Amino acid sequence: MTAAGVAPAGPTPGAFFAAGAAGWGFGGLAAALALLPLVVPDYQQVFVAEILVWGLFAMSFAIVFGFGGMLSFSQAVFFGMGCYGFNLGTLYFGFNTWGAVVSAVLAAALLALPVGYIATRVRHHHFLIVTVIISVLVTTVLESGHWRWIAGPYVTVSLTFVPEVPLGFTRFSFIDEWVAYYFTVVMVAAAFFLAWRIVHSPFGRAMLAIKDNEMRAQMIGLNVNKLRWMLFVLAAGIAGHAGALYALLARYTNLEFFHWIYSGKAIVMAMIGGVGSLVGPFVGTAFYMLSTEYLSRYFQQFIIVFGFILLLVVRYAPDGIWGMVLRGARGLGRHGQASKP
Amino acid sequence: MSDLVIILAMNGLVWGLIIALIALGLSIIFGLLDIINVAHGDFFMVGTVFAWTVILITGNFWLAFLIVPLIGMLLGSLVERAVIRPVENSAALSIVATFGLSLILQEAVRATFGATPKRILDPIGVTVPILGLDYQVYRLFAAAIAIAAIVAFFLFLHRTKFGTWMRATRQDRDTAIAMGVPSNRIFVVTFGLGTALAMLGGVVAAPITTVEFRLGLDVLPLCFMAVIIGGLGNLPGTATAAVLLAFVEGIITSFAEPTTARIFSLIFMSGVLLLRPQGIFARSTR
Repeated sequence: MTAAGVAPAGPTPGAFFAAGAAGWGFGGLAAALALLPLVVPDYQQVFVAEILVWGLFAMSFAIVFGFGGMLSFSQAVFFGMGCYGFNLGTLYFGFNTWGAVVSAVLAAALLALPVGYIATRVRHHHFLIVTVIISVLVTTVLESGHWRWIAGPYVTVSLTFVPEVPLGFTRFSFIDEWVAYYFTVVMVAAAFFLAWRIVHSPFGRAMLAIKDNEMRAQMIGLNVNKLRWMLFVLAAGIAGHAGALYALLARYTNLEFFHWIYSGKAIVMAMIGGVGSLVGPFVGTAFYMLSTEYLSRYFQQFIIVFGFILLLVVRYAPDGIWGMVLRGARGLGRHGQASKP
Repeated sequence: MSDLVIILAMNGLVWGLIIALIALGLSIIFGLLDIINVAHGDFFMVGTVFAWTVILITGNFWLAFLIVPLIGMLLGSLVERAVIRPVENSAALSIVATFGLSLILQEAVRATFGATPKRILDPIGVTVPILGLDYQVYRLFAAAIAIAAIVAFFLFLHRTKFGTWMRATRQDRDTAIAMGVPSNRIFVVTFGLGTALAMLGGVVAAPITTVEFRLGLDVLPLCFMAVIIGGLGNLPGTATAAVLLAFVEGIITSFAEPTTARIFSLIFMSGVLLLRPQGIFARSTR
């Protein structure tokens, strides 16, 4: 194990990004995303926005699994809670879009507090089982007619009005695709950079230490269960944020989003892209969404293809597409240094 | 009212025995290979679909009891060799791989069998009067088959050389290998056996449930509950917990809604997890 603060263990992009490539990469990406509406038609802007939203959902899984070593099947519940919180904020409390997004994140994080408390007290297989069971519990409560007072009309709902974003003295209406696009880009970028700062903070390093060797982390005085719990709630909040952005973008939510099998979508997208970094899930999501667009033209059961891709990724490239790219870049860099003298 | 309680409790008992059969497969795979097979519920679903297919081809439901477990044995062995073995060093990755498997099974069934749920007719078609209510004889038969399969499984585990090897590997993998137990063959057979149990469960359950590609998604959490309450890897505990859970849920259903019964057992399970994570039947400290 290297000294704390130097490149962390595992497939993290430490060495590569330390060279300032991260700054250039993100700057270029920001410029590309900002200029995109000039070159692509409206409906494709919405498609790009959807990739970003699902990428954020996949990233929430990568945070839990890639940085915390927790194989969670409950990300969908928090995505669903985001939709629910958004609808509750908009339709019940009458918040504007900003308030509704905040209430979505709060709803997901509030549910994650007790769920995470129970789930992070157990390890490995028990953790997975608990996340599945809790997802089933939430879905059962929401879909039963008996507990309508909890579910209310806020689980499966289509917004009947066009959302607006008040900003300063003006309001932007989602009726323009570019408004939806820029709003999503800004919100996803905000969540991404918050998560980036957190996983590269001492807290993030501590999580990697726990994932690496839990007993050693405990020996050096880390409160393992509490840190795992904090990471779980953080990832849940991000999944809820993604849920709110989806509810805004599609103006439609469904009980299906809460189902534990829906977490599989995040797992597939994040694993394909790579769970060792925060960028990987977005790469995986872009791959997933683009190939889905293409494959679904030819046959309906295209998900079977992703089943096989998942098997191949697990077998041959456990750090995903982005992990392979980083390894390639690092290999090139080392090669360049070696051949210089 | 009291008649209803008995009927629902009996239904719960029958269903619990079937769940016990499936959960045993999950538990034995966990005990030996140290992975949670997320595709286990889908193997159950594939079992029901194969039962349906056997009826379609031969017209005889009873043949399915013979053919489908054999297919399960083959399929499971194949999966162990092709999917699990290459990633056996990382438990988390193996579980993700079984999730990929689950997607493949579901979508393959949806592509071939279709998305609409189908029903299999009661193959016995006789009812007996129990307390003035007609009760399907097939349900009693299903319970008998499930009990027979569970007993046969435990006899295999305790009375045959292979079963002894399996128990030895579960207790201490390295020592067992050092003693000359052919561990690779054991893992293949274990996964095959676990899959065969799930698919046999599918055949037994096929006439009392609907046959559709999403069936496994509802069954897997039930198995998880049985496995948690009985103790992960504790085989008799798992079977007992499955039967007890379904029995109690059946009784609760007679005076409350099914959802309430399910929520009760989920909360009970959370309590077990927090207070006795090794399961309620664990006796000695290991």
